[in-house]
Amino acid sequence: MVNEAGETDEEFRRLCDFLYRRTGMLFSDSKRYFVQRRIADRMAATGSSSFASYFSRLRSDVDGEIERFINAFTVNETYFYREDHQFRCLSNDLLTRRLNSKLPGAPIRIWSAPCATGEEPYSIAIWLLENWPQVDAYDVEIIGSDIDTAVLEAARAGQYGRRALMRLPAELVEKYFVQTGPESWRIIDELRESVRFTPVNLSVPGETKGHGVFDVIFCRNVLIYFDPASRRVAAENLFENLAPGGYLCLGHTESMSRISPLFEVRRYADAIVYQKPGGRADG
Amino acid sequence: MPLIRTTSSKPTEPPAPSRAGLTSGSSEERWTAARAAGGSAQNVAALGVALTQEQDPRVREAIFTSLALINTDESVEAVLPHLRSDDAQVRAAALDALRAMPERTAGHLPALFADADGDVRLLACELCRTLPLAEMHAMLGVLLANEHEANVCAAAVDVLADCGGEEILPALAQCARRFISDPFLTFSIKIASQRIASQRPDRGE
Repeated sequence: MVNEAGETDEEFRRLCDFLYRRTGMLFSDSKRYFVQRRIADRMAATGSSSFASYFSRLRSDVDGEIERFINAFTVNETYFYREDHQFRCLSNDLLTRRLNSKLPGAPIRIWSAPCATGEEPYSIAIWLLENWPQVDAYDVEIIGSDIDTAVLEAARAGQYGRRALMRLPAELVEKYFVQTGPESWRIIDELRESVRFTPVNLSVPGETKGHGVFDVIFCRNVLIYFDPASRRVAAENLFENLAPGGYLCLGHTESMSRISPLFEVRRYADAIVYQKPGGRADG
Repeated sequence: MPLIRTTSSKPTEPPAPSRAGLTSGSSEERWTAARAAGGSAQNVAALGVALTQEQDPRVREAIFTSLALINTDESVEAVLPHLRSDDAQVRAAALDALRAMPERTAGHLPALFADADGDVRLLACELCRTLPLAEMHAMLGVLLANEHEANVCAAAVDVLADCGGEEILPALAQCARRFISDPFLTFSIKIASQRIASQRPDRGE
């Protein structure tokens, strides 16, 4: 059977196998339309006349097509202050508790992975500046990471359209952005330089070790795209990258208790988060 | 404006991977060894031995993950015995690891469904979720027709309610008749059947 993007069922299966091996993301027939749209985009971008010729180009990695292809498949749409109840939890509960466990002068490290085009790590920075009174008293290191190198470049550039800013109050847009066009804004340099961006693949064992140990990790809305084995690996990577007693924030549809029993569930006023055992237990 | 500063020093590097074996050393060393072992199929036997001895749930999770990553018939065989563990946490971890190796696990399902232990048959139902629909129907259809424990049938019904197609409706109806005196199971089957029927492609068209 041949489908809309011109690929047969067998070709679709091979493509999904390829995507799985490269990213750990599993796409079943139910996601076929999602996959087809991206295939069509890449076929158009590369001038490929058929799926077979495009897949051949992909497998041969002509002009770095593998990376471009993976970039097209990662889910990057987000916006500032998305699920901000978790940021409220961060400033009201998590950081205070982490400070109780830290040595004086030790920096607070926060990781946003995946960070897509940077909305989340910049949101964390803005939120802390606006809502955490102790922000001036501590060194706070915020790192954004993603498998998609193209979005990391966009994150570093810090340029956004109106849609990404839709949940930010106007005064915060005024304060932390410079309008660069009728429909575009750029994060002010001071804030842009305060967030570091790095590539990472969460589904490869040990891949994240070089990022060090964090007090809080935001890993939202990505584990649901992983197959069970990759999800387990990602959970163990995140575990390794958390300090004892550190916190993991997942997307609201995700539950770590179904992914891995490594973490303890903590319920705070604004969010349910997951804590690595070993530090000062907080319930 | 207050600043959020990136630290000038490099992040703290975790300790280098330990050379300690899977069954010796501290929990941290065994965890590191277990994670590293996932890179080679030659480690399956050692992982299997470690799994039978490991008491730390965290390290056990890492062993299960590495076996799932290696994803060979031998990995599945190392995990399968733990489905009958007395420890519910171990059974759940084994189930999760087998779910991560669906193609390798599928061949073991007939034996699991023939197991004398009802808990094993119950867990085997969960493993059918990843089967192609026709295979799932064939496997669970036989179970619905012959299984004598209502709890095991209920587990199959749970799976079918989520993943089943209309071809399984007669088998569900037959199972409901067999367990007519079990109100929970007949109710579960009724709900599952309604859900499956409501998802027919021609519904409302």
